Amino acid sequence: MKVAMKVAEKMAEKVAGKAPSDASFPSRLRSPAVTARVGLLLGICFGICFVTGLISHYAQNVDQPIPFPTRPSWGYRVTQGLHVITGTASVPLLLVKLWSVYPKLFQRPPKGTRKLVVEGLERASIGVLVAASIFQLASGLANVTAWYPWNFSFRPTHYALAWIAIGSLVVHIAVKLPIIRGALTSDVEDTTYDRPTATRPGVLSRRGLLRTTWVASGVAVLAVAGNTVPLLRKVSIFAPHSGAGPQDLPVTKSAAAAGVQATATSAAYQLEVVHGDKSVTMSREQLLAMEQQTEELPIACVEGWSATGVWTGVRLRALLDLVDAPSGTDVFVTSLQERGAFRRSTLQGNFVDDDRTTLALALNGEPLALDHGYPARIIAPDRPGVLQTKWVTRLEVLA
Amino acid sequence: MRGRLAIGSVGLLIGLYGAYLLLSRQDHDQLVSAAIWLASGVVLHDVVLAPVVLVVVAVGARVVPPGFRAAAVAGLVVLGSATIFAIPVLGAFGERPDNPSLLNRHYWVGWLVLSALVVAAVVVAGVRARARSRRSAV
Repeated sequence: MKVAMKVAEKMAEKVAGKAPSDASFPSRLRSPAVTARVGLLLGICFGICFVTGLISHYAQNVDQPIPFPTRPSWGYRVTQGLHVITGTASVPLLLVKLWSVYPKLFQRPPKGTRKLVVEGLERASIGVLVAASIFQLASGLANVTAWYPWNFSFRPTHYALAWIAIGSLVVHIAVKLPIIRGALTSDVEDTTYDRPTATRPGVLSRRGLLRTTWVASGVAVLAVAGNTVPLLRKVSIFAPHSGAGPQDLPVTKSAAAAGVQATATSAAYQLEVVHGDKSVTMSREQLLAMEQQTEELPIACVEGWSATGVWTGVRLRALLDLVDAPSGTDVFVTSLQERGAFRRSTLQGNFVDDDRTTLALALNGEPLALDHGYPARIIAPDRPGVLQTKWVTRLEVLA
Repeated sequence: MRGRLAIGSVGLLIGLYGAYLLLSRQDHDQLVSAAIWLASGVVLHDVVLAPVVLVVVAVGARVVPPGFRAAAVAGLVVLGSATIFAIPVLGAFGERPDNPSLLNRHYWVGWLVLSALVVAAVVVAGVRARARSRRSAV
C-alpha cells in the first residue's frame, strides 16, 4: 500500500511538473511491430463478428428476398456461436492493442494548419473506432447474460454500430497501410516504425507479449465456448449457460417471464390454423392424435448458446394441409404471450415447407416443459432461437 | 496512394451508413443512452483502466522480484482481461428467479480456479527463470 502511494505521488509530481507526452512511455513494447500483429488478429475477429452478425440480422428479418437456407440445420448454431466466441476473444486483443498505442493519446499536435486538420481527422476516425469497438464488446457481453443496463434498443444499436466500427476500421487500415505492411513484413524486433523515445527494454520480449496475448485470447475462447460446444461445457467457467435446464435444455425466456403460466396450462387451450376463410381449431389431445414425427434439431439462441434437442410433434406442413394452404406461402405464428417483440414470428415459405419443421409437443421423450413452450412450439432447422416461437396458439397462412 | 484513398472512401461510406442506421431507427432518449455508453467506454479505458494498469505495473516493478516480473506481466494480461470480460457473469446482473438455466454456474469459483492456475504458472515460470539466470551467472 505504501509503495502504491509512493508511486502515485511520484506520478502526480511528474504530471504537475510536466504534462505527459508520448516520451513519457519509453517501453519498446509499445511498438507498431506489436500493434500491427495484435491488430491483424483483432481485425480478423471483428471481420468474423461482422459477417456472422449480418447473417444473424438477416435471419431475423421478416422479408428475406433471398430465402435463408434451412440446411444445414446447425448453420445458425455455428455462425452465432462464432459471433459470441470471437467477440469475447477480441477483449484481450483490443486491450493489448490499445495499451500498445496509448502514448499516441499524449502526442503533441503538429504545427501547420493543413497537418493539424489531417491529424485531427485521423484522430477523430480513431476515436470513433475505439468508441464503437468498446461499445460492441461491452454491450454484446452484457446482452448474452440478459443484462440490459441501458435505454437503447439492443438489436438496432448493436447492428448500426457494427457498420460504424467496421467502416472506421477500414478507414484506419487505409491510413495505416504502409506501416501495417512494413511492420508485418519485417521482424518483430525491428525498430523502423518505433517512436524515437520508445527504446527501454520491457520485462517481456515482444514475442513474449504477443504469445501472452494469444494465450489470453485462447483462455477467452475456452471460457465461453462451452455455451455452444458441448465438449467444452465443463471447461467454460464464464459461459452464461451451463447447458442444464428443464429437459436438459437451457431457457432464454421462461413461462413466468412471458406471463403465460395460466393460459398455457388451461384446459381451454386451442390451436387455431387459419387460411383465408378456412380455419381449424384443435386441442392438444387432437394434435397428439395426429401422425407424430421426431426430429433432432438444435436450438440456437441469438444470445449465443445452443443445444440439440429431440423434438416430437406434428409436421407443420400436415397442419397447413388441413386448411389447404398452398406450398411456398409464409405463415404468421402467434404465441399466448401477450407482450414482447417475440410473441409473433413469420415463418418463411421455405421453412414452412421443410419436412423437419415441427409443431413440437414433446422434447427429449417427455411432454414439452412449460418453459420450453408447452402446449406447443415451433421448431425449424437453422433458425435463430427467438423465432422458434413458444406457446403457439395460432398459425395463419399469409396470402 | 490512390488505392488507399479508395479503401478509405469505402470505409467512410460503410461508417456513414452505420451512422444513418443509428440515428434513424430510435427516439431521442434511446440515442442519448447510446451516446453515453459510447463515450463511457472510451473514458473508462483511457482515464480509468489505462492509468490503473500503469500504477499496477509501476508498483509491480518495485514489489515483484526481478526473475518473476516477465511471468507476472503475462499473468496480469491473462487474468486481467479475463476478469474484465467476465464482469457480466461475475456480477450476475442478468439473473432472474424464474430462469434457473441462466447464469447457473459458480462463476466466482471458476474465477478463483483461474486465478490460482495463473499464480501457479507465474511462480513456476519465475522459479525456472531464476534457476536459469543463476546457472548462467555461475
